[in-house]
Amino acid sequence: MHELTIAQNMVEIIEEELKNREQLDKKVMEVNFIAGRLNAVVPESLKYNFDHLKQDKDYLKDAELIIKETPIVIRCNNCHEETTIDEPIFRCQKCNSGDIEVISGKRMYIESLEIE
Amino acid sequence: MTNVKMVRNVLDKNDRLADDIREMTATSNTVLFNMMGTPGAGKTSLLEALIPELKKDYQIGVIEGDVATANDADRIAALDVAAAQINTDRFGGSCHLGSEMVKPALEELDYQDLDMVIIENIGNLICPAHFDIGANYNIAVLSITEGADKPVKYPLMFRESQLAIINKIDLLQHLNIDIDEMLTGIKDINSKIDILQMSAMNQNDGVELHKWIADKMD
Repeated sequence: MHELTIAQNMVEIIEEELKNREQLDKKVMEVNFIAGRLNAVVPESLKYNFDHLKQDKDYLKDAELIIKETPIVIRCNNCHEETTIDEPIFRCQKCNSGDIEVISGKRMYIESLEIE
Repeated sequence: MTNVKMVRNVLDKNDRLADDIREMTATSNTVLFNMMGTPGAGKTSLLEALIPELKKDYQIGVIEGDVATANDADRIAALDVAAAQINTDRFGGSCHLGSEMVKPALEELDYQDLDMVIIENIGNLICPAHFDIGANYNIAVLSITEGADKPVKYPLMFRESQLAIINKIDLLQHLNIDIDEMLTGIKDINSKIDILQMSAMNQNDGVELHKWIADKMD
């Protein structure tokens, strides 16, 4: 459900970026979005919300949202190994310690835009 | 076609406001607790059990988040502490509280004069955990009736919290639920989290929660 807030923020950020570049009269064709897996973003839901919101904006109407998920990578404070986890078990894949830091998979950002 | 690299965090605005809240409350020495959890887990009942004891030692404010109605804020105001209600239907029926809603509510409460503010987030096991609202401590509340695998199905909230409360534990004897599975699930998500098994209806159980909170006020 938080996908709506994320989509609203995306549109705001894109508008800001175009304004700064004085390119509001151009058309955005692609929005490349990176979603860390820990954010549990449902891609279909984010696309649905984005596609709904973009209709109100001439510069965004034709844009396709491309979502890339990044894995959850943890660093162990015990053996200092970096491992990737696929399940919600936040334990070092090497030594099974629970004393870990999440080093990636939490961030959510617009990586780039393709503008015509 | 031009490719424009940007790397802009979509929750930037929320996170910046959360930093503002942290700064404001650090200056006034006000500790902020963010209580999150499922609808019906017993968050408001926990507060009703907790506040009469806590208010003997601390100046308390409560922010109640709900999509609609002031029912919960009315229940808290009856305990004679400062209470503010955020209804997110004004914010598009949002499923979580954001920093932009919490900041004005803190100001409405005159947070500078308070030792602690407890925020009862919108009942939802997913969305609130994604939005930093500048709290010093996050508390995740669920009830035993919801099933042993709920934490691993919705891990982020337990990952982000310092305390997990398993409420309605007095009902365990009537259920076919493996409490150890729930406990292991929570610890697998966050090995450092504290866990309290309790019933908001049982006054003795409230003592442990009171202790946990008081410990964070030192």
